[in-house]
Amino acid sequence: MTLLSLTDVHTYYGESHILEGVSLEIEAGEVVALVGRNGVGKTTTIRTILQLTPPREGTVRFKDEEIAGEETHEVARRGIGWIPEDRRIFTQLNVEENLRVAVPDRDALRPALEMAYDAFPILEERRDQRAGTLSGGQQQMLSLARGLVGENELLLVDEPSEGLAPQVVATVAESLAEAATDTSMLVVEQNLPLALDLADRFYVLDNGSIVDEGSTDEVSADSERLRRYLSA
Amino acid sequence: MATADDEHTRAEQGTGWRSSWPARYARDHAVHLAVVLLFACYPGIYHVATTSQFGLVFESFLPQVQTMTPILYFGLFAMSFDFISGYTGYLSFGHAVFYGTGAYLVIVIANGKIPLLAAGTPFMISVVLAAVLAALIAVAIGLVSFRLTGVYFAMITLGFAQVFYVFIRGWDWVATAPRDGPSVSFGTHPEGFRIGIPYVDGASYAIGRLYGSGLEGFLGLFDLSTTVVSFYMIGLVVLVCYLAMQRIIHSPFGRVMIAIRENEERARAIGYNTFYYKLGAFAISGAFAGVAGALFAGYRRSVTPENTFYFLTTGDALLSSIIGGLGTLAGPLYGRLFEQGLDEFLSKGSEGGGLLPMLQEYLSRSILETNALGLTIEEMIDAFINGRASLYVGIVFVLFVLFVPNGLLGSLRERVGGPIAKLPGRLFGGEKP
Amino acid sequence: MIDATLFAAEVVPLSIVDAFVEFLHPSELVGVLVDGLSKAAIYAMIAGGLTLIFGLMGVLNFAHGSLTMVGAYLGGAIMVLSVSSATGPMTRLAFFFVGIVVVFGALSAVGGALEISLIRRLYDRPPIAQILLTFGLTLIIDELMRIVLEFYDLQPRADWIAAWGTKPWFLSQRLSIGPVDVRGLALFEILMGVLTVGAIWAFLTRTRYGLFIRAGSEDSEMASALGIDVRRVFTVVFAMGTGVAGVAGMLLMWDTLWGASVPLGAETLLPAFVVVIIGGLGTFRGTVVAALLVGMVDAVMTWWFVNEIRFTGLPELTIFLILVIVLIVRPQGLYGVEGVGGH
Repeated sequence: MTLLSLTDVHTYYGESHILEGVSLEIEAGEVVALVGRNGVGKTTTIRTILQLTPPREGTVRFKDEEIAGEETHEVARRGIGWIPEDRRIFTQLNVEENLRVAVPDRDALRPALEMAYDAFPILEERRDQRAGTLSGGQQQMLSLARGLVGENELLLVDEPSEGLAPQVVATVAESLAEAATDTSMLVVEQNLPLALDLADRFYVLDNGSIVDEGSTDEVSADSERLRRYLSA
Repeated sequence: MATADDEHTRAEQGTGWRSSWPARYARDHAVHLAVVLLFACYPGIYHVATTSQFGLVFESFLPQVQTMTPILYFGLFAMSFDFISGYTGYLSFGHAVFYGTGAYLVIVIANGKIPLLAAGTPFMISVVLAAVLAALIAVAIGLVSFRLTGVYFAMITLGFAQVFYVFIRGWDWVATAPRDGPSVSFGTHPEGFRIGIPYVDGASYAIGRLYGSGLEGFLGLFDLSTTVVSFYMIGLVVLVCYLAMQRIIHSPFGRVMIAIRENEERARAIGYNTFYYKLGAFAISGAFAGVAGALFAGYRRSVTPENTFYFLTTGDALLSSIIGGLGTLAGPLYGRLFEQGLDEFLSKGSEGGGLLPMLQEYLSRSILETNALGLTIEEMIDAFINGRASLYVGIVFVLFVLFVPNGLLGSLRERVGGPIAKLPGRLFGGEKP
Repeated sequence: MIDATLFAAEVVPLSIVDAFVEFLHPSELVGVLVDGLSKAAIYAMIAGGLTLIFGLMGVLNFAHGSLTMVGAYLGGAIMVLSVSSATGPMTRLAFFFVGIVVVFGALSAVGGALEISLIRRLYDRPPIAQILLTFGLTLIIDELMRIVLEFYDLQPRADWIAAWGTKPWFLSQRLSIGPVDVRGLALFEILMGVLTVGAIWAFLTRTRYGLFIRAGSEDSEMASALGIDVRRVFTVVFAMGTGVAGVAGMLLMWDTLWGASVPLGAETLLPAFVVVIIGGLGTFRGTVVAALLVGMVDAVMTWWFVNEIRFTGLPELTIFLILVIVLIVRPQGLYGVEGVGGH
């Protein structure tokens, strides 16, 4: 089943035309990577799906229902989760509270927390600590855990490895791979090896539109096909 | 930017006497001329209208001439508020401090309290000093406050103004009863304050209801009362100040002010020292606010801390600016006109005529005594309408904030097209200009 | 204690030193402490509602003072209607607490209605628009109040004396605690302050909704992406904020220093702003700490005004000076987090 589909989406920031006719699809059970240089509109694509920056034209369908124009919280409640760039954890809340906010169903709270602490024991250690005092890597784990406890069918993951030390990246990659077994994902990632390893398919975004797509089996991180669009 | 506009205009106008310098000036300022003419004729218009057949109706709707004079000087204060708040986007919530400074300085000078300045110092000089002092205070406050922006700037200026307010309320050097405020003592300053050219006989006229100059045989036709003379003299000062502010807005300095409002980051990136520009604009706005306060004191001869330094005075300027149009410069004057006009229209006493006397005249006794919801119509009018202008002004204000963010003048200019293309709508949102 | 007067005669006017010595006397200090705490309690209650709204929505609710005033009159009306000269003190207290609940409910409803009908139209606009709107609301509310009062023959500018009369007798008196003489009402105010602050604190930290408010306060986008209807949270917060303002007003109607009158609105608004800004945006803890600071400064300066320095506005002056200094040195406030509250 097609879980998510964008058709000819145009998104603007004020008068800036960021997305110029983006179309993509994610099937249930897939992990799809969205790659491209800085500033081409990858984060905007995610924001558009979430309706944080609603599209001016085009359709966004989730499980075959149109969601363009809905309120963000309604979109989220449909089962679309967000692991944003810059983590955006709630620094004023403690670790456990950060997780609690993400769990929609009160009854599901205990099992959800257990699952999160299982996956990230360090979070359990620091459950009462103010989230703002965690290290970068720990905050990313919290952000990930928050996305995972939310009972989401689709996760929108934005630059999960950015600014992290290699060991931490490895942990993150592992958790994402684990999550991918029962959650579909759209992953925006500059770290090509990580993205291609995790994903089944990829799209290349350049200057606000999709210029290439394919299966990740077909390419590797240094293939010519991708390098054209991704050189810094 | 400006050059393209100029060229375009010139191209449109072509050559010939119509495009000559004075003609262009007159056309650009045609609206100004018309408005000034209207104001100048107002006393005459009022007189003719109220002595005509429908005199009572006109008397109800038109503000009295003596109401117009405070509208003028407070309008100047509101315009100076707009000068800084509407054009740079920095809301000066403490603007009353400059108004109060001007007012208090005039009275203190007239009471002979300032060394080196005789009690009889010409009013015009006092006004200039008021402007200077206010500007200096503005610079002092601005040096500290412009490190902040937005709400913080508004709050810190409010804080400063309240410090001054509390201080002046307890400072017994300015007045024997500082809580009541100072007044010009008859002993030190028996004559009215004169506007005009000081030290030259016949080139100045005194203002004030009691102390003003009456003028007999003006143009060989009219006798002008003190009220009317005050109206004209104060109006003259206000006009000059307005034209000065307008000139500044339309100059390169003014363009930087607007650039600061639109996108200060970018203005700074281009190379402007926005701090100095903000400070300068603030000083100018403070100076003119000081002039307004001086006029107020000169006209009324007594002031209180509440009607000068208190934050609600700034609130009134804000009210006038929003209704008239923030970022239009002249808008606040019209806003004040509307607000005061409504106030007089609904006022309890029927001094200037009003709704109640008009209703009493034209509605039959039986209607007035009809009972609805337990009250007679007459009682309802008395409770809800008479003297309740603040309520309706407040409602108008709220509606304007929601639906007419450009204010009266701003919306008018938007439809007709004005010389300053950028409108204040973006200042606090609403429709796109 | 050293006899400071020996040194002082050469350096400082004798009277100031005398006054200082007197100030340090335990009974004076305790008196000032109690006074300061009661003032702090009042400031915390006045500002508490404002900070909830400001913190979450970045809205500086100029109508806050007027709503406090409405609470004062509503509370006053409840008391005046329920209490007669024969009513015993404990019964009066009982009526008071019932009144608190009623006032909280009524003012919350008003706040919610205002938010839904007016305030929320301005969320996409710069914060200035909300300030302007709430300023206009103040004018309307004040004038409507005047209409109602004059209809019932009550003087809008004067404190409502009948409301004062509904106090239980022991609150009107001075009580002796050890060597010190304190106003009974001051102790009651401290109690109310603690209860109110405690209730808000418990709500914010121990309930699910409080969690949503705190999360939304910090990052409303992220909160909505987690499924929280931030708009509805705004309404609830605004309603709560106005409810608390009303409760503060009801408390003030008994205090002869404040009293129920239309100017009460302006009298409470400015201190509320000062406290919220000094404490910092979006932080309830900051507001409480700032209330303590401002309350103590107010009490100390009042003591000095009464006993030594004959300048009427000394307490207010000092408070505004603190505001200015805090804005210069640390604009985000004592506990503020930069970037919170929409700025």
